Amino acid sequence: MIHISWDNFLAFALISVALWALGAYCAWRDSRKAALTSTIAGIAVFMAFIVGLWISLERPPLRTMGETRLWYAFFLPVAGLAVYSRWRYKWILSFSTLMSIVFICVNIFKPDIHNKTLMPALQSPWFAPHVIVYMFCYAIMGAATLMAIAALLGDKIKIKGKSFDGSLIQHPVNNLVNIGLAFMTLGMLMGALWAKEAWGHYWAWDPKETWAAATWLLYLAYIHIGNAPQGTIPRKKYYLLIVAFLCLQMCWWGINYLPSAQAGSVHTYSIS
Amino acid sequence: MWNKPWTYREGTAIVAGLLVVGAMLQLTVGPIDWNLMAWPVNIIVAMVLTGAVVTGNVMRKRSYMLRFASSRHAAVPVLIVTAVATAIYGVTNMRETLSCWPFVLLYLWMDIIVGLVTCKHLKPSLRNMCITASHAGLFIALTAATLGSADMQRLKMQVNSDQPEWRATDDNDKVHELDLAISLNHFTIDEYPPKLVVIDNETGKTLPTDKPQSLVLEDSVTEGDIMGYHIKTKRLHDYAAQVATKDTINYVAWGYNGATTAALVDVTKGGKTLASGEWVSNGSFMFPYKGLRLNDKHSLVMPEREPKRYASDVTIYTKSGLKENAVIEVNKPYNIEGWKVYQLSYDETMGRWSKTSVLELVKDPWLPCVYTGIGLLIIGAILMFLTAGRKEEDNK
Ligand code: HEM
Repeated sequence: MIHISWDNFLAFALISVALWALGAYCAWRDSRKAALTSTIAGIAVFMAFIVGLWISLERPPLRTMGETRLWYAFFLPVAGLAVYSRWRYKWILSFSTLMSIVFICVNIFKPDIHNKTLMPALQSPWFAPHVIVYMFCYAIMGAATLMAIAALLGDKIKIKGKSFDGSLIQHPVNNLVNIGLAFMTLGMLMGALWAKEAWGHYWAWDPKETWAAATWLLYLAYIHIGNAPQGTIPRKKYYLLIVAFLCLQMCWWGINYLPSAQAGSVHTYSIS
Repeated sequence: MWNKPWTYREGTAIVAGLLVVGAMLQLTVGPIDWNLMAWPVNIIVAMVLTGAVVTGNVMRKRSYMLRFASSRHAAVPVLIVTAVATAIYGVTNMRETLSCWPFVLLYLWMDIIVGLVTCKHLKPSLRNMCITASHAGLFIALTAATLGSADMQRLKMQVNSDQPEWRATDDNDKVHELDLAISLNHFTIDEYPPKLVVIDNETGKTLPTDKPQSLVLEDSVTEGDIMGYHIKTKRLHDYAAQVATKDTINYVAWGYNGATTAALVDVTKGGKTLASGEWVSNGSFMFPYKGLRLNDKHSLVMPEREPKRYASDVTIYTKSGLKENAVIEVNKPYNIEGWKVYQLSYDETMGRWSKTSVLELVKDPWLPCVYTGIGLLIIGAILMFLTAGRKEEDNK
């Protein structure tokens, strides 16, 4: 049997990135079919690596920071693909590819300890869906935040001499946040159900859970703010979105560096 | 301000008012004692709250305040302020926050708004179903979880082989006698394969410090490199006893209580032999651990094996005459007569030879309510995903 390990990562990543870059290029050239095909092929190659790693580790690769970055690198193009196929933004595939490259590079140049063991509490059927759903949510929220930033920068961005009209993207941003929030809610609730099975209580106000709640509330605030009139840019709303995304980062990895979490959060595994 | 229609300003003013009232209550009444909410106070409070919300919805035509309370202008300020308050709690991690009046009033106001929105949107359309399910789910889960917390019991029970135990202790080490007794038939630990690491002789830290490496001795793996040392295992005993011969320490296969894991290794560096046929062992309560000194700076050691799975095979007896056998392990609690019995830990000084198992018994009578709320929230989230694209068209 073929044994896939981190040693093979570079090869898989290079092929995937090449395919995604090709897809992004085709999107600019308005070859929609080629863009979709190439991006999907890249995703398939990347997925093959993840599945191979999963099999050879004998556990889902979801524990270390390096492994979660792997999912982020995977879901960014997936989210990009979803947005592109639905709303046909030429630039979104370039964005998602670039972002994905960042995470891939971190994994190549600063790999984690790729530990094989998984503590008993993590060996749960809830574990994989919980983290995967959260990763998908991160990727979507990342895309929404980038679009909001692009809208805020507005005319400073020039595409083929024409300045970018930020007022046109309010609905796609809102839709992305709605979808991202649906996933976030599901991820959080799966976490709660899992916690009940593993630790005896569904919600313990542990630092990571507390930050997850704060993040969730901020995104809730965002979706509860009404739509701005057509043709305007809801600046304050977009600032809120950026703050919420920073909060999400805090929740994802900032927690590990927080003194309150060092005391014994049940969720900080990757630092040891 | 306060000219109709009210906007975010008035919404924010209400939240600010709540914080002031909360601060005053905190100073005069003192922190909230959630234990006072114990049954039947909590069910009464829950009914009063729900009744008030439903009545509020009926009266909405007559009161501008009630209509305002189910508007986004009331919701957004409390959501943002609650998020900030929660984040502050996330940084400070002071558990007193949870019985702090301003903090609790924020959540209460949010709960009331959510309740009112639920009633307002009880209409049959996919979009309204999404809104109703989400808000109803949150109302039910939040109310039940908060008020029900006083009725929750979490007890620790230490069970030993062949001796039924019916006493358990709470967080304050108070002993409770239960209506059920548990005896441990057998405790098992499956461990991950042993591994070898190189440590710094002075600090004892695993090297390299920035990303510690280890050689995992799985079935097929017998050799590898750490920090330039080439390590080759010639023999591995999962269960071994230490035997002292005249001038060396030897390990032999031995499968009884107290057995340790031991590996016979050769170590070379740059072609130079540092050790040939030396034993390394992680020790047990019976045998000391044995490391291998490589040079002045480094040693090769075998850390304690990490547990992969541990489980208690128990028999549970209840006052009502039930007698059930169960295997309880992490992530697989056992349900009996309203209790969920969890595997918590074991006697770690005995490691895999532990004769005791520590169980946690949890009773949470409000759990079905909370799960109902969670179920509705899940339905709401799925509907939200399905309707996400549509709203755009509706608004055009
Ligand atoms: C589970 C989390 C929640 C979800 C998924 C959710 C979702 C929604 C949605 C989709 C709407 C319709 C918005 C629109 O049509 O523009 C809405 C309205 C509303 N929500 Fe929430 N919400 C949640 C939690 C909350 C919370 C915590 C509050 C209170 C602070 C709240 C207060 C409101 C209010 C006041 C409205 C306006 C109702 C109206 O205008 O008729 N929601 N919510």
